[in-house]
Amino acid sequence: MSQVAPRVGIVLVSHSVRLAEGTADLAGQVSGGTVRVLAAGGTEDGELGTSAEKVARAVASAEAGAGVLVLPDLGSAVLTVRAMLEDMPGARVVLADAPFVEGAVAATVTAAAGADLKAVATAAEEAWHARKL
Amino acid sequence: MPASSESITLTGDLHARPAGALAVAAGRFAASVSVSAGSKTVDAKSVLGVMGLGATSGQVVTVSADGPDAEEAVAALIAIVSEATRVGGLGAAAVRSDAAADSRARAVGAS
Repeated sequence: MSQVAPRVGIVLVSHSVRLAEGTADLAGQVSGGTVRVLAAGGTEDGELGTSAEKVARAVASAEAGAGVLVLPDLGSAVLTVRAMLEDMPGARVVLADAPFVEGAVAATVTAAAGADLKAVATAAEEAWHARKL
Repeated sequence: MPASSESITLTGDLHARPAGALAVAAGRFAASVSVSAGSKTVDAKSVLGVMGLGATSGQVVTVSADGPDAEEAVAALIAIVSEATRVGGLGAAAVRSDAAADSRARAVGAS
């Protein structure tokens, strides 16, 4: 792995611990497991909600040297992420406006291919246009 | 710009993992790469697009590329489609458990 250029990391912020972990698992498997995909779901005590501290820890763990894309599950998680970003002024972090599952999978696969943070964010946001049927 | 194209008959369905492997590989080439099955053509670098093809066993899939490394891209992607949809290929349990162990390790590191 030391020969491979660092990949963009992905942080999945959900109100639910299990939703974040399940989505991280799915995105990790579809992309082949070469990208840091961190789940930041629930409050500190595992209840439904979000935690700025959890998000901050996940962002730190996801950073491999190429920046981090943060995906919130619902609009109200955005407030938590924004508050967290204000406390990390130097961080190379982008908050994506994307559907949670599709955005996570698209972003992780794009990161696995070695794309930069901007391209990974674009892949997540383009997921709005992907039809299933 | 050199262009290249090749077709293969699927020996298994193009599920999520093979679609992911295809898109990851396609993203490493400079050439634009597309995948067709039936009447649909999608960007091979878009995993959601490849998944949306709904390509099944027995269907003919065509990989086309246009750009400086088009020929290498087509050869690499045809090899991946061939391997990934083969019984016992990328869709097999070994890959699944490796990836699961990987993500568990990451989750532990995160908490």
